[in-house]
Amino acid sequence: MVLLNVTARKTVRLLALPLIGLLLAACGGGDDAADAGADAAEFEARKATMLAEMQQHFDTELSLPPSVQEALERGELSQADIDARAAQGEFEKFFQFKTLADLPAELDWDDGSDLPDIGSPDAKKGGTLYQSVSDFPRTLRLVGPDSNGSFRPWILDNTRMWMGRRHPNDTSIDEDGNFRYFPGVVSEWSVDIENATVYMRIHPEARFSDGVPVTTDDVMFSFYFWQSPYIQAPWYNNNFRRNYSKVIKYDDKTFSITLPEAKPNLFFLAMEWDPMPLHFFYEFGEDYVQRYQWRYVPTTGPYVIKEGDLSKGRSVTLTRLDDWWAKDLKFWRNRFNADRIRITVIRDPAKGFEAFRKGEISIASLTLPEYFYEKLPAHDDLVTNGYIHRSVFYNDVPRPTYGLWMNSAQPLLDDRDIRVGINYASNWEKVIREYFRGDYSRMRTTADGFGEFTHPTLTARPYDVEKALEHFAAAGFKERGPDGILVNGAGQRLSVSVTTGYEALKDTLTILREEALQAGLELRLEILDGTASWKKIQEKQHDIAFSAFNVGTEMYPRYWETCHSVNAYDIPWLPDGSANPDRKRKPQTNNLQSIALPELDERIEAYRASADVDEMKRLAFEMEEILYEDGSFVPGFVIPFMRTGYWRWVRWPEEFNVKLANSALKYHLFWIDTDMERETRAGMKQGATYDPVNVIFSQYRPATPN
Amino acid sequence: MAFRLNPLTLRKLQRFKEIKRGYYSAIGLVVLIVLSLGSELLISDRALFVSYEGEWHFPTYGDVQVGDVYGLTGSDAVVPVDYRELASRFEGSANTVIMPLVPWGPHTNDAVGGVLKAMPPDYERAHYLGTDTTGRDVLSRLVYGFRTAILFALAFTVLTYVLGVSIGCAMGYFGGAFDLVFQRLIEIWSNIPFLYMVIIVFSVIPSTFAISTRIAILLVIMVLFSWTSLTYYMRTETYKEKARDYTAAALVLGAGTARVIFRHILPNTIATMMTFVPFTVVSAITAITALDFLGWGLPPPTPSIGELLKQGTANLTTAPWIVTAAFVTLVFILAIVTFIGEAVREAFDPRKFTLYR
Repeated sequence: MVLLNVTARKTVRLLALPLIGLLLAACGGGDDAADAGADAAEFEARKATMLAEMQQHFDTELSLPPSVQEALERGELSQADIDARAAQGEFEKFFQFKTLADLPAELDWDDGSDLPDIGSPDAKKGGTLYQSVSDFPRTLRLVGPDSNGSFRPWILDNTRMWMGRRHPNDTSIDEDGNFRYFPGVVSEWSVDIENATVYMRIHPEARFSDGVPVTTDDVMFSFYFWQSPYIQAPWYNNNFRRNYSKVIKYDDKTFSITLPEAKPNLFFLAMEWDPMPLHFFYEFGEDYVQRYQWRYVPTTGPYVIKEGDLSKGRSVTLTRLDDWWAKDLKFWRNRFNADRIRITVIRDPAKGFEAFRKGEISIASLTLPEYFYEKLPAHDDLVTNGYIHRSVFYNDVPRPTYGLWMNSAQPLLDDRDIRVGINYASNWEKVIREYFRGDYSRMRTTADGFGEFTHPTLTARPYDVEKALEHFAAAGFKERGPDGILVNGAGQRLSVSVTTGYEALKDTLTILREEALQAGLELRLEILDGTASWKKIQEKQHDIAFSAFNVGTEMYPRYWETCHSVNAYDIPWLPDGSANPDRKRKPQTNNLQSIALPELDERIEAYRASADVDEMKRLAFEMEEILYEDGSFVPGFVIPFMRTGYWRWVRWPEEFNVKLANSALKYHLFWIDTDMERETRAGMKQGATYDPVNVIFSQYRPATPN
Repeated sequence: MAFRLNPLTLRKLQRFKEIKRGYYSAIGLVVLIVLSLGSELLISDRALFVSYEGEWHFPTYGDVQVGDVYGLTGSDAVVPVDYRELASRFEGSANTVIMPLVPWGPHTNDAVGGVLKAMPPDYERAHYLGTDTTGRDVLSRLVYGFRTAILFALAFTVLTYVLGVSIGCAMGYFGGAFDLVFQRLIEIWSNIPFLYMVIIVFSVIPSTFAISTRIAILLVIMVLFSWTSLTYYMRTETYKEKARDYTAAALVLGAGTARVIFRHILPNTIATMMTFVPFTVVSAITAITALDFLGWGLPPPTPSIGELLKQGTANLTTAPWIVTAAFVTLVFILAIVTFIGEAVREAFDPRKFTLYR
């Protein structure tokens, strides 16, 4: 109640502020000191509440084994059962506080220093990079509603250090079944495979952008933060409970993370996260989402958003920290070279590209054929005069899953024959051959590009009208109506809608639609803006979604998120194991197919719990085969490269980029040659020309793209 | 018929005919509308006439035919007939296919050289205005888009006038509390921004609705937000006419409300309203084009002028023929409708012809 009063008072004061400002303009600001005093008192009160709540959480949060958590989710166990078992001391605490004396003596510390450096030693600091985004970020929070938007890479994914990062060129697997990692916020680590634990030491110099050193208190707080309901982010809540079992603080710089199972590449879970600054979140509470909406979270990384650099609705500017603590560290030097990065909102992509051609934007993607062949072809004056360089870079990463996701809970699509028929009626071959000009390739499974974890032989069903008609006939759709669309005995037309938020890819859908008509199937297209479409899909109101999940550079694909029945329905099964007739679709999950198959659940749980590579592969292949049989996903296309256009003063390492790069900017390897920029901009006015550059980098081109 | 052509109206029509620019524009527009109603006979990927083994077929308006009707085999037998291909197949045989002038439907993707992209005008392939970014014929999309727009605009005009005139007239005639209440309602109603309403309503319409239903919904929303402005004119005109002696005379002679309104007041007020009609048509065409341009109008792949304009501006430098065609068409249509409007206004000018000099 006290909290509520305080907030209400503050709102009133804020509203009154402009008026008071006007009135007091002549009298001087006598109230400022009193205000500051009240603010400080309020802050202290909130801080005390926050710290007390955190301590309460530390004291009560239990480390539940996944089987118990899953039973709780399924309703087989109640919270009372858990409490009773906890009272008997069955479960350990999630947050533990120990001393250095408790640290195992014979730890073998590693720091990845044998790995090669990233980035070019020729890189120079300075200059400004100009980029555009189509939507102004809806928040500067890193977590919570609206934070998972297209602006996230600029303030989270690509510009923060994490505890450690996977080496983007050395993709080998060590004897423990892990990828190779290089240090970020931690300087060294030690793995205890048997206990699925990673011990880590925070770098002694590590500090946040506001100068406060990083300590294990920030680590403990981070886990409290991600487990807290205040952040309104169910995925975080689940992930940081289900996939972690313990975090132990040994001293200010030493801590350990324990996972429930020693899966291959346990570094992924143990190190790929960024510490949240405790001192910044002293006011963390129920109103987190509003309170922190526009506050820039201090970072351990190189870029900050300074006050005044956020021009609402127009642009955001990132500024490089001159005294960034990691600027001379191996793996981090020679990167993040631009002094400033100015990101302007340009809503229309065509207009954005024109801005690039005018030199107002520094780098643009040419991956879509339309741009590579039409809007900036090799014979364009800007290219032949050497002002803009073009490159094609083949990367080797897990591929985003562009395809048609059918919601099998919808009428018509609940029939497997119709789903398989739609597979045969989707002419992705034509789209790839004629629209993408043969540059892209057909996706095979839901998990392409995972190397040995990708099914070796499975392929997507080809476009085949006769087979499609056969399957539609089996579902009762035998006759064509007057408009050529199949109808069943009841006079129902074979017509489903396709929802997408990809305005730029809508042409592919109009082609698919025309081709599907051949097979008597009508696809009604629904092109929405990105947010509206994703909302509809997340509420599971779609028939078919044309969408893709961006996949991290993980070792093996995930299936729980997209295929487990708990993500399809609230109560998928009755206690006797049969399908619950009253089940409701579960919103805000990634199971877009509403797929709920007991044999799949069984394998997903085994796969999640397995620590054996061969068993996981076998399970992954079996799951892909089950998904293929189910037919609710039509694999679309994969893009085996990135094509980039950039002004000649944007310089790149000799190799252009790293093997795992899925966008040219991801690892910040470029630098701005300010002298060259000045020279070129002046030269262009006088008609100077330079050597044209059109390069293809195929050193990482995989033998098969998927 | 409620209104007989009285000498005054005849004189107005005569005057309209004398204004050549408006008169020829009106003829041109009527011809265009009539032609567009029969677009399938001029521009379509369905054949006008097929003679196969002595049997005559006229596929233009019938049900979709699949290949086995014409003895095609394999997968061609079970899919809708591609008449262009059929024509080349029948070459040199006794069978014939006659295609329309432009053998492309508004949805057909034509991959010239195996690539789907915007192609400049190509007379050999009968793409007289070129193709759009997925190889669809621009002329075909333009004509079908025009037909949708003009029919939409006409329906919109009729509905708006029926609603606006009857409510405005009732307000003016009955006056008093009825007038007061409706005026307040209209003031509130007309403050709701129309474009936002369309966007909001369209974002919640499920895509399960057929395209024709969606067009009907768009029509209804637009009418609901457009009739109010007409009531102001209609209301004042009715007030004015009601106070005239001839109305009083009719009432004294014992004419009923309906007779007074329909025989006396409406014929005398409608002239003013007539002058607004062409401009209502213009605003309807502009509105539907703007909505399509913004992506809130008709769902893809429905052909429309707004969608072509959008594509055209996105490919301004690489495919200028798209934006040129759409822009010229739009300007032309809006210009001739405006010419008609000017002429109508001139011809119906009450300062020239009035019963009470």
